[in-house]
Amino acid sequence: MTSPALRRVAILPDAVANQIAAGEVVERPASAVKELVENAIDAGARHVRVELEQGGKTLIVVSDDGSGMNRDDAVLALDRHATSKITSAAELVGVRSFGFRGEALPAIASVSRFTMVTAEEAEGTEVVVTGGRLDSVKPAVRQRGTTVTIRGLFFNTPARRKFLRSVPSESRASVEVVSTLALSHPSVGFELQVDGETRLQVPPGQDDPGRLAGVWGPDLAGTLVPVNYASGSVRVTGYAQRPGDAAPTGRRTQLFVNGRPFRDNFLVRAAEAGYRSAIHPGDRPSLLLRFDVDPADVDVNVHPAKLEVRFRDRFTVERVAEEAIREALGVLEAAAPVGDWRPMPSAGGAGHSVPASLFAPLDGSDERPEEERGVAAPGTFTAPVTQLFSSYLAFEGPEGLVIVDQHSAHERVLFEEVMAQLAVGGAASQRLLLPETLELTDEELDALERHREAIEAVGFQAEPFGGRSVVLHSVPAPHLRFDAVACFREMVADLARGRFGGWANRLERFAATYACRAAVKAGMPLGEAESRALLFRLFQTKLPPHDVHGRSTIVQLPRDELERRFGRR
Amino acid sequence: MKFTITREKLHEGLGAVAASVPTKTTLPVLANILVEASKDGLRLSGTDLDISVSTTIPASVDQEGATTLPARKLVEIVKELPNAAIRMTSSGEQRATIECGKSKFKLLGLSRDDFPAFPSVKFEGGWKVAAKDLQKLIQHVAFAASTEESRPILNGVLWELRADRMRMVATNGHRLARMDVPTSGHGGGQADLIIPPKALEQIRRLFGGDEEIEIGKSDNHLGFRSTTTQIYTRLIEGPYPNYEQVIPRENDKSLTADKAALAAALRRMSIVASDQTHRIRMAFTNGACKLSVQTPDLGEAQEELAVAYEGDSLEIGFNAAYMLEILKYMPTDEVRMTFKAPERAATCEPVGWDDPASYMTLVMPLRLVD
Ligand SMILES: Nc1ncnc2c1ncn2[C@@H]1O[C@H](COP(=O)(O)OP(=O)(O)OP(=O)(O)O)[C@@H](O)[C@H]1O
Ligand SMILES: [Mg+2]
Repeated sequence: MTSPALRRVAILPDAVANQIAAGEVVERPASAVKELVENAIDAGARHVRVELEQGGKTLIVVSDDGSGMNRDDAVLALDRHATSKITSAAELVGVRSFGFRGEALPAIASVSRFTMVTAEEAEGTEVVVTGGRLDSVKPAVRQRGTTVTIRGLFFNTPARRKFLRSVPSESRASVEVVSTLALSHPSVGFELQVDGETRLQVPPGQDDPGRLAGVWGPDLAGTLVPVNYASGSVRVTGYAQRPGDAAPTGRRTQLFVNGRPFRDNFLVRAAEAGYRSAIHPGDRPSLLLRFDVDPADVDVNVHPAKLEVRFRDRFTVERVAEEAIREALGVLEAAAPVGDWRPMPSAGGAGHSVPASLFAPLDGSDERPEEERGVAAPGTFTAPVTQLFSSYLAFEGPEGLVIVDQHSAHERVLFEEVMAQLAVGGAASQRLLLPETLELTDEELDALERHREAIEAVGFQAEPFGGRSVVLHSVPAPHLRFDAVACFREMVADLARGRFGGWANRLERFAATYACRAAVKAGMPLGEAESRALLFRLFQTKLPPHDVHGRSTIVQLPRDELERRFGRR
Repeated sequence: MKFTITREKLHEGLGAVAASVPTKTTLPVLANILVEASKDGLRLSGTDLDISVSTTIPASVDQEGATTLPARKLVEIVKELPNAAIRMTSSGEQRATIECGKSKFKLLGLSRDDFPAFPSVKFEGGWKVAAKDLQKLIQHVAFAASTEESRPILNGVLWELRADRMRMVATNGHRLARMDVPTSGHGGGQADLIIPPKALEQIRRLFGGDEEIEIGKSDNHLGFRSTTTQIYTRLIEGPYPNYEQVIPRENDKSLTADKAALAAALRRMSIVASDQTHRIRMAFTNGACKLSVQTPDLGEAQEELAVAYEGDSLEIGFNAAYMLEILKYMPTDEVRMTFKAPERAATCEPVGWDDPASYMTLVMPLRLVD
């Protein structure tokens, strides 16, 4: 141990300070790539080329056709806190360029063999730094722009080098970084070579959808619908995946705030909430969302690698994200499947307002206008309805032929009804004259026990009957062709196997299971009155166009399309 | 084949048979009616393979023969013809000419050999019952059979033939109807038969009230015949569930009410009942019956009804649609209901029915949630 008396407070030599800063700014090759590409974009590059070897462990080259630097600036840029991007702390608020600390280049140069060739005009400069020590500055030939070459990253900090992951893992991280930057700057062209293989190539001057297709691939991009929503001072644009295309794996998400990429899983989750029950709970939709907020409302300098940001009013941003998605899916309903229209006027908006008791003023002393009294008769579905293939209900909508999947529709209806029943109390339950005895497996008995309360709330009363038998005494009656025993069996089996495991909420999981099993099935012939009643109830739900698996319940064949096909347009 | 017949008779005969012709079928000949002319007159037959109906009507037959003709077209033609003699001839097997007054039609049919044979049922050693007894049973019981397909046995109506009585029972597991009619012997032995309600409906419709019906049975078919009409049906295989053990015997609360008043109150309540469950609530205390309904998102209603009630007070929930249906079939102006507990079966019987038959219906309650 060294004696404390020998200690002196001293300013750290620059090299050491840079190395410490490097620990924060550059933790792996991908972070160096990120800093260098950001610098290129800040320099107004039209095209950025990145080359990696061994995941960037041995070689990183980033070259651009941006502004370049003159000899003096090139040398200065390697000093700590040398930045051309801000001049005072005040400018930090609402900074729009990527760089603002003047830290990246010196940090990287302090832990690598660093070469920078840069040219503002005709004559260029080459700066060589090794482990933070300036080796040489000499004239060089280069077109306007800058090329930074990094070899042997962390060659002088073996502890850090040891923490690097495998080559594929480090490569993946860099691909991710470049992809994100490519998405945030569709006007800049990018090329990424990893060990001689082109991993990304997008031309300059693209528009948003073109860039998205270039980076995420045309297949995924084809499943996205545009988002464009504003509320208060927050605007959300971008793309959200159609509910029916969301899958449990392979999703991609990307958030930007004022053009700056950032990570925020909570915000992603808030946006997902906009799907509500339109997606199967296990499914994760791909999302690209750009938030535009007043620069004063977001702090981008809270994370050493600038990966996170802090919103002044996070709650509002989350709410707007959710609304933006909901609104985007609503438009989707209008575009491909069906519009946000409801076939009948829903008197007084969602849900009839029912006064506490209708009986208080039965003598007519109630002065409130008719519609406020909440006694309006429930609407009915009036358009003629045809059943197709015993599975679909077709009718004329304002914009075309509307086709509803009867099972999906009923599932949606039951799901919302059951959620309401679970919240307030039970459903009506029909006592059986001839109780049904069923044999269950141990797992099913277990599931039955675990969900007993919910199962009873929807109207099943099952009692143990010795061994693995249970007796069904009461059953719900969700529709005329309801097969209570089959529904009960399937539901318990699903619960035992955790079929709807993706729903985060236990009650939702149960409601989805029950709705799926209790709904009218495809292939069941429905009467006209029954069909109308189902449609009426569907259009009273909160989310008519999607069933509990995220599939569409409604498809529309627009009149235009029909006319085109018949050669009338 | 050559015969003359009055338009009226032919219209009547076709009306009897046409209902058994299926509207949709993959076997073209089933859309046709079998027309057979013989010394006995004209016999018309139709079938959907489950139920077959044939009826014989008087006609003056000049030449015997048979063909099958499209049911729908034949019915429409005869309906539009003037009330005069109709002459029908068929030259080849599959073509018939229909003449009436100045109208003349030629209809293409299918060979009679394509038409399925009726099930062979032995009437010897079978039963003989009065049509009016059978019809009374059908009319009061068949409605209660299930239309839901998961338990095929409940899609049928149980018909018990005993030495001195006949009984019919039907249930969908939520409500049940049972009627006994005393008989003075029917010739045959004791039997339990399960019959599709569709066949019973034809039996109720097609036999005259004063006719005596002969009934014969094969392994899986039943035949009903009078001098003019024959109906065959497939039987549903049993055994029928043991309904006796679920018919309550300890109901210790009873209510006597005017059927029309009770039905009217129920109808009013069901306006605000849920479309799916039609749940209404009944509360009985001495001498009073309070009906009420409460449907989330819709509203509520209540009504008091003057009734005679005996027993401890009780609150019980019902599907109003089942109650109304049961009342509809009650043959008297006054009805008596009995109860035990909110989760136990309730019964409903006619009061003061001057008929030798005895009739009982039963309905299972709906669970009430507060
Ligand atoms: N590719 C480039 N083309 C032109 N100038 C560049 C380039 N890279 C860096 N510079 C200049 O060098 C300066 C220092 O860069 P550095 O990345 O160290 O700091 P910064 O970008 O200002 O801030 P930060 O540390 O937040 O990245 C920049 O301010 C810019 O003027
Ligand atoms: Mg920088």
